[in-house]
Amino acid sequence: MSVMSMRLPRSARALRLEFKRNAVPYVLPLLAAVFFFDTLRTADGFAPIWTLRASAIGDHMLFEFSAFAGGLAAWAGSREGRRKTVDLVAPTPRAAWARRSTALAGTLCWMLLAFLAGVAVLYIQTAVQATWGGPPLWPVFVGAFGVIVVTVIGFTCGVLFPGRFTAPLVAIGVLVVYQTGLRQALGVATSSGTYALLSPGNGPPVVDTGVYYHVAPDLSIVQVMFMGGIAVALFGVLGLAPGLRGLAPARAALARSGGWLLRTVAVVLVACGVAASWTAFALAGTAKPDAVGGWEIPALHSAASDQTVPVTRDCTSSSGFQVCVHPAFRFYLHDLAAAFEPVAAEIAGLPGTPAGAREVASVSGGQDVQSGTSVSPPVFEFTAEHVGAMFGQFNGIPDPAGWASGFQQGLLDAFLTGRPPHAGPVPILLGPAQQAVEDALLTAVRSQPLGPSVTSAGVSAAAHRFAALSASARHAWLVAHLTALRAGAITLAQIP
Amino acid sequence: MNVEISDLTRRFGRTRAVDGVSLQAGAGVFGLLGPNGAGKTTLLRMMATVIPPSSGRLRLLGRDPGSYGPRREIRRRVGYLPQNLGYYPGFTVAEFVEYFALLKDLPPRRVPRAVAAAVEQVGLDGKARSRLRTLSGGMLRRAGIAQAIVNQPELLLLDEPTAGLDPEQRVQFRALLRWLGETATVIVSTHLVEDVGAACSEVALMDAGEIVFRGTPDELTARGEGSGAAGDAPLERGYSAVLSAARS
Repeated sequence: MSVMSMRLPRSARALRLEFKRNAVPYVLPLLAAVFFFDTLRTADGFAPIWTLRASAIGDHMLFEFSAFAGGLAAWAGSREGRRKTVDLVAPTPRAAWARRSTALAGTLCWMLLAFLAGVAVLYIQTAVQATWGGPPLWPVFVGAFGVIVVTVIGFTCGVLFPGRFTAPLVAIGVLVVYQTGLRQALGVATSSGTYALLSPGNGPPVVDTGVYYHVAPDLSIVQVMFMGGIAVALFGVLGLAPGLRGLAPARAALARSGGWLLRTVAVVLVACGVAASWTAFALAGTAKPDAVGGWEIPALHSAASDQTVPVTRDCTSSSGFQVCVHPAFRFYLHDLAAAFEPVAAEIAGLPGTPAGAREVASVSGGQDVQSGTSVSPPVFEFTAEHVGAMFGQFNGIPDPAGWASGFQQGLLDAFLTGRPPHAGPVPILLGPAQQAVEDALLTAVRSQPLGPSVTSAGVSAAAHRFAALSASARHAWLVAHLTALRAGAITLAQIP
Repeated sequence: MNVEISDLTRRFGRTRAVDGVSLQAGAGVFGLLGPNGAGKTTLLRMMATVIPPSSGRLRLLGRDPGSYGPRREIRRRVGYLPQNLGYYPGFTVAEFVEYFALLKDLPPRRVPRAVAAAVEQVGLDGKARSRLRTLSGGMLRRAGIAQAIVNQPELLLLDEPTAGLDPEQRVQFRALLRWLGETATVIVSTHLVEDVGAACSEVALMDAGEIVFRGTPDELTARGEGSGAAGDAPLERGYSAVLSAARS
């Protein structure tokens, strides 16, 4: 024994033993492999936006860690029953609760260390790629509390139902609960769907979440409160466990007959935990969508969360067409400018041609923002919705051509309809003549127009005719007919 | 007296495992003999405060184990080796003993020395860093004894402590028992009458939950003389004679 360990207090020494002989290290390689193939690769498929990448903590990482945490904690909790050491440990002065708390702490320490190591890897990966912002902490808190609550649930199951099958059953149970979703587990219907927000996994947010506006911590607070409450209540149940189990065998009668202080503390913990969880549940019921795509809980909401994040956009104008994006999206600025450039050249000099393109928030006033051309000066305002197509390598969906044509189509849609940017429902599609001209212009810049399956034969034929014209002929026709084209007054037959 | 028992009874359903036992024991090694199902283990478990008695009076080390505070104090001063030794296979011998030293509230400063002493006393100092899963049955038993004596108990309760030990180890263990009995009350439950003859200053024989004999090993031996009872050794014949008399 080292000099250091000789100086440790009793609880720390016991924790050191539990930590040293815990089962968690044996499954860490497997957990690391699952983390790499699921969480890390999935996150790598997201754009390097902090909030977006951090969503992998709740949606993927917690799912994997919880199954392991629940099973391993149940294994540790059932140890005395499985190993038949009850007669050995019962006649020791250390209270069963203290003994179990140490074993629980050993498992919890390992799982939290593993979890935080995983978060560190995820965040380092993001830090290397991200161009703006910093690591969000609330997803880490929510994830950590998710690991804690599942560990305590597993451990309690192990204590109450000691057996070699308890651990796998708990792990499977956790997987099933996550698979079916906490939404179903909570028994919520569409009418009370906001309660389902208590589930730490809610799917990836929109790509620019936390970029133009702050992410309100309201939901994270109630999630932490809900899970923390359950953990505290179950920890209290562990304190009462000798009495609960003793309802059947007389063995625990001695344990029941004394230690009123411990039992009082346990009862208080159960009461506090239930109260916290119930309060969180009630608060979740008051949640409503906020103006920037998140959730607002009135009792917890701070108006400061609704303020826009002050920022200066990054711009490039190598060909005279200025393209500006939020610094968080700087990584695709030059690719974006390269995508806009040929289309901007095709329509340059035409009435209402935008002088540049500017990225704006994808949500405003609680509604999706639709791209369009602002009037004075004419600037194409777009959102980062297509940015996701640049990534997703793990899912096999990287589509550079589709990504570029998405922005080009957006620019042409706005130009050919003269539509201003607005927040609201998706605008009406282009008319047949507008679609034919757009397809022709995209073909002219060697981009991918909509396929024949989604455009009619007439549109396709007109597009081919128009694309076959020389650039100057197309330009001249557009100068003459652009106003009528925007007004929907041109037919397919009128397109040269 | 470290152990004062009067009219102690323990029922499991309709079965009286221990039926009105009265016993006093001070310092020294006290043997508890009896056939299977006689109630020895149940009596030891009550004395170890693992289970409470159904009725009767039990005082250990001058305290009443029915109350929480005194029970904790008793548990600090008791060592117990159960008949079926459960263990944590991933622990080393030293860790296993240290774990119980901590559960027994030993002052942290004393733990390393107490662990080393206990492991040495049972002859496992060469195996202190071996994991329990790698040990033989006899070595495991000795590790169990080490955890029982790590707190230098004033009352040591050993249920079949020599099961699985080879003859050399049993001889060493009896010497350890005699040494421990100089300062503490050691109660040894066993089937092996030679252990009692070699190590115990006093012996009680249980049958059907009752104590049917109490005396010294020599007195038990005397009961067998000329009785014609079965047995290869004088003490065995005394054991058989007492049991026959109790059952007749």
